Amino acid sequence: MKSLFSPLKALSFLGRQPVTLPIEPRPAAPNYRGFHLNDWETCIGCGTCATICDNAAIRMVNITDLPSDPIKGFKAQRPAIDYGRCCWCALCVDICPTGALSLSREYVHVSLDLNTYFILPDNNGMHNLGFEKGWAKSSDSDLLDLKRKDMPELKAKERHSSFVEIVQGFDEKTAVLEASRCVQCGMCHDACPTNMHAPEYIRAIWEGNIEEAVRQIYRTNPLANICGRVCTHRCETACAIGQRGDPISIRWLKRYAMDTLSPERIKEIASEGKNTEKTHKKIAIVGAGAAGLTCAFDLAYQGHAVTIFEAFEKPGGMMRYGIPEYRLPYDKLDEDIEVITSLGVDIRCNVRIGKDITVTDLEQDYDATLISIGLHQGRSTRIPNSDHAQVYSSVALLRRITLQENIDISSKIAVIGGGNVAFDIARSLARLQRQQWGAVNIIVCALEAREHMLADDIEVIEALEEGITLLTSQGPKECKVVNGKLVGLTTIACVSIFDEQGRFHPKYDENTLITHEVNMVIEAIGQAPQLECLGDALTERLEWDKRGRPVINTDGGTSESWLWAAGDVVEGPDVIHGIAAGHRVANSIHQYLSR
Amino acid sequence: MKNAKELSSLGDILDYAIAFEQQAFNFYTALQTKVSKRLRALVQELAEEEQHHLTLFQELKNNPDIQHHIATMIRNPPSDHRFSDYIHVPELDDFPDDQSILQYALGREQVAMEQYTHLATQTPEGAIRDLFQFLAIEELAHKKELEKRYYELVHSGGV
Repeated sequence: MKSLFSPLKALSFLGRQPVTLPIEPRPAAPNYRGFHLNDWETCIGCGTCATICDNAAIRMVNITDLPSDPIKGFKAQRPAIDYGRCCWCALCVDICPTGALSLSREYVHVSLDLNTYFILPDNNGMHNLGFEKGWAKSSDSDLLDLKRKDMPELKAKERHSSFVEIVQGFDEKTAVLEASRCVQCGMCHDACPTNMHAPEYIRAIWEGNIEEAVRQIYRTNPLANICGRVCTHRCETACAIGQRGDPISIRWLKRYAMDTLSPERIKEIASEGKNTEKTHKKIAIVGAGAAGLTCAFDLAYQGHAVTIFEAFEKPGGMMRYGIPEYRLPYDKLDEDIEVITSLGVDIRCNVRIGKDITVTDLEQDYDATLISIGLHQGRSTRIPNSDHAQVYSSVALLRRITLQENIDISSKIAVIGGGNVAFDIARSLARLQRQQWGAVNIIVCALEAREHMLADDIEVIEALEEGITLLTSQGPKECKVVNGKLVGLTTIACVSIFDEQGRFHPKYDENTLITHEVNMVIEAIGQAPQLECLGDALTERLEWDKRGRPVINTDGGTSESWLWAAGDVVEGPDVIHGIAAGHRVANSIHQYLSR
Repeated sequence: MKNAKELSSLGDILDYAIAFEQQAFNFYTALQTKVSKRLRALVQELAEEEQHHLTLFQELKNNPDIQHHIATMIRNPPSDHRFSDYIHVPELDDFPDDQSILQYALGREQVAMEQYTHLATQTPEGAIRDLFQFLAIEELAHKKELEKRYYELVHSGGV
């Protein structure tokens, strides 16, 4: 009976007030995964969010008025979200290296216009309604491993009296763990002067495929044993992980791959795809440094006949005669060079251009010539008595150490300079001093204050660990000589080194002179090229810039159609830039010869 | 100003400053033919800068405002001899290198700056002091430019 009368019960509601629910959505939970927020100030445009998105809901969009600097590691791109694809999994937030991306507590969007579901999120939210953050990065959800794996290194006491290599290298497990930290964003690739395929070789290491890693390395770098040790690793400065944690050890991973594979297998991989047909074009390269060797590798790969003329006993340039063996063992340098010679490059050592052979000979006998002679002449301060026999050039002395010449090491030494070369010579001499005298008594006098020093931090730290004394803000004033004997170095306090515009304008306190009691002074303030080898006739024909360097175009071509210049002699400042220049010149020469 | 007299007229000082710039211009111009082409651009630029200064000083001297004060006597600075030293052709090697040339140029700018700064302190407020202060600033600006170039040149590579 009850069910029979039930419909009539509805009549009882006729006189009641209707219930109206508000159309505003209910507040979302504090960690709700709603529409995206992106802090444009923090976002670096790395695209890691787009890479991880399984639904392909994120696309990186170029923003023309945003700054971009691959060296510092930021791109003029921001992520755009397609809400037709997004499943609000928040992996993009959890992986974001900077923490710029988060999800808001906003979740309602109603529109018949499909374009409105494709948005470029910023901090204001989808509808500028000021919704708070919901799901954001936390230590629990962060997918990144921010701490790099430790690299085994010799302690100061284990290394300070020998030239044995300090850095010991990763083992397999550590290398794989370190490689697993990489998010494959490619910021390193963009920052590298030679655009190394670092994400690819890191991934290959992670997969345990070392041959593939070496293959990826050799796509752009024929001096990988060297770069795996002494590269200035701009890639790591740009690494997205470095935004909140330690950047990936990209340099050490390269070294791991190179150290793991046999030199013979590396040679085979490096020669894959080499043009086996000879072009019968001859190229002369003057100087077997980073630029010259790279250029030789590329041109030999193309099938050209390449001859390198090297003035010193062995190839390698500053990598052999400037960088101490505790940073770069000579056998590793030799391994890289042997790969290059295995491609057919002929390296003739102890041949001096301008003496044993002239540039005119090269012009006549070769189809193209590259000058890559580096900067092998040390600059002098030219302070009073700097011409004394006990005052040495750092580069000349480093060369003698490489050649294992007998050097009379004094018991008290001062090094003038604040760059890497100053620390290379100071640390090398400290080892010899410890061997000969049983103790270290070396001061490094740098013009710059500690925070402005040009040397790498690690060089300074390790030098101090090895017993070297650093004196900052000290300008050289005079080498003290008494009765023909060097007895000291007088320095003057440098109050400031740059003016308000950041230009070099040192100011000294004339009342603060210190005389350091030393009997050997090393000048390590800079280097110059030895361009006299070009001869007067070619020097007159060439165009020069205001710094006395040959004028070159973007490909390294000089004002003479048959002549190119690359490396420190025209650009600098390090091995990886030399490699990049070597590639550019090789490409230019190849095109020139292919006409 | 090489003599030991304590006072010089403004006219004499400006004549000496003009001679100072003229000498440097002549020196750099002559040097262009002696140095390797590698250094010629550097020397040529230095000559052009001195030419610019020379013209500026000559125009200043002929300025009617300055002409009114041309006979004013001013106390010479104690560092006068250094200024005078640079009037003479420097003892550079037959084949000076870039570093020597820039060191010479820097030395010139330094003493000139000191000279004009000191002269400004010896002069009462007014047009002449303004003139010396202007000249000191000019020389300082030039010196800074040379220092920057010296730093780039000498400290380039390997550091």
